[in-house]
Amino acid sequence: MAAIMDIMISFVIGGVLLMIILTANEIAAENHMVYNGDMLVQEMLVSTVAILEGEFRNMGFGVDEATPTITWGDSASVSFLSDLDRNDATPPDTIHYFIGPVSELSGTQNEIDRLLHRRVNNGTVSSIGAVTIFRLSYLTQDGVILPRPVPAPRLSEIHTVEVSIEVQNPYAPLNPLGSNPEALFSSSLWQQTRLASQNTRR
Amino acid sequence: MGGKAILLVTIGFGFILSYISYNISGMSTRAVSNMSHYASATESHNLALNGINVGLAKLYQDTSWTGTIRQEFTGRDHLIGAFSVTMADLGGDVARMRSISEYPVPGGDTFNDTIEVFFDTEKFNGFELLTFMTNQGGNENFWITGDTVWGESHSNGRFHVNGKPVFMDKVTLSKGFDPAPGKGQNKAVFKNGYETGVAEIPLPPNFQELIDATNPVLGGTGRMYVNPEIWVTLTPGTAAPNDGMVYVRLSSGGPIADSLQFGVDVFNGALVGLGDVHVQGTLDGEITIGSLSDIIIEDNTIYDNRDYPNSDDILGLVSENDVIIADNTPNQSNVLIDGSIFCRTGSLDVENYNSGPVRGKLEVHGSIVQEDRGRVGSYAGGSLQHGYYKRYHFDDRLASGSIRPPFYPGYWVTTYAITNWWENVRIPDYRY
Repeated sequence: MAAIMDIMISFVIGGVLLMIILTANEIAAENHMVYNGDMLVQEMLVSTVAILEGEFRNMGFGVDEATPTITWGDSASVSFLSDLDRNDATPPDTIHYFIGPVSELSGTQNEIDRLLHRRVNNGTVSSIGAVTIFRLSYLTQDGVILPRPVPAPRLSEIHTVEVSIEVQNPYAPLNPLGSNPEALFSSSLWQQTRLASQNTRR
Repeated sequence: MGGKAILLVTIGFGFILSYISYNISGMSTRAVSNMSHYASATESHNLALNGINVGLAKLYQDTSWTGTIRQEFTGRDHLIGAFSVTMADLGGDVARMRSISEYPVPGGDTFNDTIEVFFDTEKFNGFELLTFMTNQGGNENFWITGDTVWGESHSNGRFHVNGKPVFMDKVTLSKGFDPAPGKGQNKAVFKNGYETGVAEIPLPPNFQELIDATNPVLGGTGRMYVNPEIWVTLTPGTAAPNDGMVYVRLSSGGPIADSLQFGVDVFNGALVGLGDVHVQGTLDGEITIGSLSDIIIEDNTIYDNRDYPNSDDILGLVSENDVIIADNTPNQSNVLIDGSIFCRTGSLDVENYNSGPVRGKLEVHGSIVQEDRGRVGSYAGGSLQHGYYKRYHFDDRLASGSIRPPFYPGYWVTTYAITNWWENVRIPDYRY
């Protein structure tokens, strides 16, 4: 009788321990995915921002003072001049940033992510990251926000470019596709309110 | 037996949970490290930026400075960061300031960021940038009540004032005023201040660039006339811009000896006479008329499009000696001149300035540069008796330096104007 009791108690204790293990495993997996998603999002954001920030800082490098640096400015696209190869013998390059349609990333669970594209002169379009928000504002030296798209005669007034970027995880592993996938998308927002090239202040 | 088994199970659980916890915290740490890496990169960049600011402050104090400044920022026993900023003359009127940062990050690595600033050490300024300039002071020529100048004025000598002239923009003088402002009869009004003791702006020894522009051997497509005198009449073309005509005669009212049309004939905008050049008319185009003797203004010489600052016409009158307002019938009641006047060794003068009735206003819309102040009128008791009142307006289009009469004289100034600013672009690194 005592042996049977021992076996039954062992089953109960073993079952409880098994339940604890399964629960702990589930929590650990969930946390792992969340942290992994956060890290992925941050890496995507930082890599995108690093390229964008570095290139925007050199806006107007090697461009004649009398020539407007920014040739096109809208809420989600911008074109500007900069001498990328730092060679006086060649004319400045035209760099164009713009976001593509959401259909480009229709294969991801996230329904609002899209590619941020970069094109130099008339070269091929390359993608520098996936974003959910890419918003540009243009300010004059007095801090006046210019209308978008910036009218051509006012392009030379641009003194500061405000950039806002949000990156979300393309996948929500804990939510099946189609069941409110936005709920657990990791996201990270970056905004630079005074991103101005010194070359526009000459 | 059972106790040992439980102990083993507990140890096993502890090990498994510790491993899971380690992985989770490791993932969390990497996520934080990622942003920490971005923060460190930003710090490193800001450090390079600080280096440039230090270098610029040094250069502001001493423009002859070249060399390296290194500054280190240390904690108790370790380096927090450092920058080295170097100023170097690259030759060809270009200088470069380079700042390189050092920012130690965990793991033994060091971030380095670079910022380079390029300077033009010399800058060409056209004389048309000034509304009024004299090389000498003109001891007998005074600014008097009723004179008004819009735009910046400069003299390598003195300004003599007797009355209450109005200077709407800044006045710079290498010597000073006679008498000093507010003293004696100097009641001048300075709307935008004045500065004395500034560096002289030397007049050029010639205007060779303009002359060369008429030499076909040098590729010039301008016109050179060797006659003792020529009469140049400017006439507007159609309503379209820049299609005016230039007629050249060898005597007043004589037959046309030469003509050209802007936009049709191959012409670079330079027209020079070895002798006196008489000028009048309405310009519809861009031209600089030069004379190795005198230029005589026979009548109003104005732009076809006088809608400042939208006009597309531009005129330079460059004389080796004087530019003279003729004492003739058309000039008896006001004279209008749209253009930039340059008298290398002479003055802007009025013929018979000290006789006859007051002839109204001499209104110049552009720039006047002369060796010495000429006389445009004579006065008594601060009131004009003969000649013209002066009305000198600046043509705001000339202020940028990008619009100037063709081959108009200028001067080089030592400057450290920032022409370009470059900052390194950091490539993302996922080790963090």
